[in-house]
Amino acid sequence: MRYADFGPHDIVLLLNGLGVSLTLFLTTSLVGVVLGALLAVVRYYRVLVARELVTFVTEMLKNSPVLVQLFLVFFGIPALFKIDVTPFEAAFFTLALNTAAFVYVIVVSAVESIDREQIEAGRVFGLTRWQVLRHVIAPQAVAFATGPLTALLVNQLQVTSLISVIGVVDLTKVGDILNMRTLKPFIVWTVVGVLYYLAAKIIALAGGFVERRLTAHSAWKGL
Amino acid sequence: MRAGRSIALTTARDAVETEIGFTRTVAGLNLIVSDLAPHIALLAQGALLTVEVCVLALAGAVVVGAAIAMMRASGSRLLRGIATVYVDIFRNIPFLVQLFFFYYGLPELGIYVDAFATGVLALSIAGGAFASDVIRSGILAIDPGIVEAAQVYGLSRRTTFLKIVMPIALRLSVRPLGSVLINLILTSSILSTITLNELTGSAKIVASQTFRPFEVYAVLLLAYASLTYLLSIAIARFHRRLNRGVLEAV
Amino acid sequence: MIRIENLKKAFGKVTVLDGIDLSIEPGEVVSILGSSGSGKSTLIRCINGLERIDAGRITVDDFDVSNPKELAEARKRSGTVFQLFNLYPHLSALRNVTLAPVEVLKRNAAEAEKEGRALLESVGLGDRADAYPAQLSGGQRQRVGICRALAMKPRYLLLDEVTSALDPEMTAEVLEILADLTGRGTTMIFVTHEVAFARSISDRIVFLDQGRLLVDLPCETFFAEDGGMANARVAQFLSKMRKD
Repeated sequence: MRYADFGPHDIVLLLNGLGVSLTLFLTTSLVGVVLGALLAVVRYYRVLVARELVTFVTEMLKNSPVLVQLFLVFFGIPALFKIDVTPFEAAFFTLALNTAAFVYVIVVSAVESIDREQIEAGRVFGLTRWQVLRHVIAPQAVAFATGPLTALLVNQLQVTSLISVIGVVDLTKVGDILNMRTLKPFIVWTVVGVLYYLAAKIIALAGGFVERRLTAHSAWKGL
Repeated sequence: MRAGRSIALTTARDAVETEIGFTRTVAGLNLIVSDLAPHIALLAQGALLTVEVCVLALAGAVVVGAAIAMMRASGSRLLRGIATVYVDIFRNIPFLVQLFFFYYGLPELGIYVDAFATGVLALSIAGGAFASDVIRSGILAIDPGIVEAAQVYGLSRRTTFLKIVMPIALRLSVRPLGSVLINLILTSSILSTITLNELTGSAKIVASQTFRPFEVYAVLLLAYASLTYLLSIAIARFHRRLNRGVLEAV
Repeated sequence: MIRIENLKKAFGKVTVLDGIDLSIEPGEVVSILGSSGSGKSTLIRCINGLERIDAGRITVDDFDVSNPKELAEARKRSGTVFQLFNLYPHLSALRNVTLAPVEVLKRNAAEAEKEGRALLESVGLGDRADAYPAQLSGGQRQRVGICRALAMKPRYLLLDEVTSALDPEMTAEVLEILADLTGRGTTMIFVTHEVAFARSISDRIVFLDQGRLLVDLPCETFFAEDGGMANARVAQFLSKMRKD
């Protein structure tokens, strides 16, 4: 290698990688949170079989390595269905589903944390199921779930590093490339680690901020 | 290992197995079974390696976690600070990055250890950050009166910690430490990226040899999920048995 | 001898002990009476060094409990039995008894075990030596607690409301053992609500009220109309205790 040492372009490379990591993190988190919450609502409406199916799939996703899930989607699905799946697509699909599985569990337990009497009272006063969900359950569940959700998202950011294994050029993959080129593992992986660390701290701070606002708002409810 | 089936295929790429048989005639589940059967031994070896890595890493994580928990409970500001930073760092940086740090970094320091040792080390260090939280809450759950009793009978701080606080805290921590173990098992799949052919690593080999990645990874996913599920049940039972009586008295 | 001079102790702004002077001679049985919150338990916790004292001085056989270097010696001379037993939940009854002799007094393990079994035997727990605290009744646990203290062969036994977590039947079995101990010349400082029992075993009664030592009299005098009962607070306390 002729250009073995670090150059200014490496900063661009690192920032690009960070951008890919964060983009995937943010988009899959958004899709995952929405999907997970929707699935929890399906559970609330007691659709036949759906509940068991969702429970089974979420348990599978929660209790198996994300790396294996990535391999299944990236290597398995194209082989079985004879379709092309890019690393980015596979990463997006897997991470979104994985996040959804954890979100589902968090939301379900948040809903279950709400007093049954409140829900029954709402129904007694003639509110529809949807109105109860909208005005009684949702606000409290959101406040209850923010803490666990923040912890989950901090974790999911770290999980994104696995997509480098199937070839997405995220922050970790950039680290890998720089490591191979410069042969300075301590510097490379420390810098990469610091970037991940800072991103995790920002997520945690944001989550804490949201949680404080939500609980301050609902404090009078005795939450 | 050899099933002696219809076609023998030689692959140049995969060094471990040069000859494998596979059938393309039967459909459905049968196909998965007959295709994977010749590779069960390899997968079993991988599973065994996963178990070995995780058992060692759990032991390492508990030792590291106990040390960190002890530091966090200590009177020294410096020790408490170090422990807090340790937990913060290793919980907020992806394991893959930590793993590469050690895998590529240790040889730079003149420490040449194999992927197995590196994996156990990295898992112990990362697991220790989680275990320390668990053990810390175990320590905090102990009735202060029990520690006072040890004090008035003249037990040294060291003895009190080793013979009273730690044993009780670890007993109380069995179930949450079980969750740490399950996490270690799932995380250990990442060791396949540093050439360690544990369960996921060996499945990768099988997938490329059989050209049936979907079946292989689906089975692998099921295997991990059932393994961790059964383990969590066993841990919950063990926790109840070990703490029969201890819990209510604490 | 345990000597307490001008002891003061406050928790935040609340003064719990306010200038206590008290000496206890070897061989004495002293009961400390007083209503809840009078500072009785805190006094015990100051003597065994569990609470840091704010002012004054406590010495156990001339070892100052406020001095970290002397505290260990002071503690070796006294044994504490706790209200809520505070047994080590992960150790058998026998190991609860032998742990400190082996670890602190560096006694031979087999020897300590033999003595521990004998102690448990003497309180009627010979067959429960290998049971864990959770497998024992409250009364049995407290008897183990007493054995744990006695195993250190203390000169002074500090008993902090040792029966108040027990029902009457269990209280009786524990008191029986304590009465037996007084007959053997063990020095005891007995914080209690059991007025009748205190009267039957004590040489001296000390009465605390709002952190002050109000009355310190020989047992008989304390319960005499012209003795302790002449003090209005004592009379009030005793009449209240009788009603209960």
